[in-house]
Amino acid sequence: MNRCEHFKEAILTDYIDGRLDKKAADLLEGHLLDCGDCRAFFKQVKETLSPFHQNSSQQPVPPQLWEAVRQGIEGRQQGFLESLFNGLKGWLVFPRLVPVLATLVIMLLAGGVSLNTIQVNRAQEREQGEYLASLIGSAGTSLSAESNNLGTPIEQYFL
Amino acid sequence: MDIARDILIRASQGEAQAFEEVYKAASGFVYNVALRVVNNREDALEVAQEVFLIMHHKLKTFRFESSFKTWTYRITANCAINFAKKHSRAKTVPFEEAGVEGETASEVHAGMDQEYQNQLVEKLLEGLNPDQRACVVLRELQGLSYEEIAQALNININTVRSRLKRSREKLLTLRKQINYEQV
Repeated sequence: MNRCEHFKEAILTDYIDGRLDKKAADLLEGHLLDCGDCRAFFKQVKETLSPFHQNSSQQPVPPQLWEAVRQGIEGRQQGFLESLFNGLKGWLVFPRLVPVLATLVIMLLAGGVSLNTIQVNRAQEREQGEYLASLIGSAGTSLSAESNNLGTPIEQYFL
Repeated sequence: MDIARDILIRASQGEAQAFEEVYKAASGFVYNVALRVVNNREDALEVAQEVFLIMHHKLKTFRFESSFKTWTYRITANCAINFAKKHSRAKTVPFEEAGVEGETASEVHAGMDQEYQNQLVEKLLEGLNPDQRACVVLRELQGLSYEEIAQALNININTVRSRLKRSREKLLTLRKQINYEQV
């Protein structure tokens, strides 16, 4: 970067914005006295930026802005209350509670059915046990009776 | 944009009148920055409304760690830049489309009327991208320091300097083109 480019960069930023310290500013201003090209550049920068510094660049705030802001705030507050109410209503009344209740009922029914089945099975097992025991008992007596009675005449002959 | 601390506290507690005071103090800055960054009056109203709704919502969490001014600069710049980037109307306009018509160079030098200057500012800003536009608006129109711009845009001071340098170089080129087209 040559000397003029260095000064031009300073003109575009720190010098035009009043951020150069006195020593650096004096150096630049000394250069501006000697260099026509940099002087023209500085003039051009000032002219380009001048429309931004006019009072007309600040526009009056339209009165409808406050009304829009006020309505926006009210709308948000109303919206918040509504969403809170709807949320609570949704949870407490309908329809979110319905599936929850339905699930509970199904679980209770399923639990009841399985308990009942277990009880029935146990009763059946008990009855079967008793039945088998009675069969075994009666078989024992009939076997002993049969052992005394030797059966058919052929059996009686051989035995 | 100086606002007493007690007004800010009352506004943060939901007092409508206090918030209206905040609005009165900040609306000039907010609207003008929005207007110059989005370069359209209707869009600027939309952006400014959004800024104040955010301020109203977030005032509760404002801890006075940064100044209220810096806080407002940051919200405004963010909303305006985001809006400008999202909406095609605010896109960078090629300079051929953005030329100022109807005035001669001699009239320009003889003294521009306010409307012409305003139009010129609009046209010059159209040639910049939203980030550059925000930087130039905060510096040239609102007179913020480099430090304040850095805080508002959440960038460092060297980035502010280089962004201003590039923006001004672009403005010089645009201005030359305007003068050339007018002759």
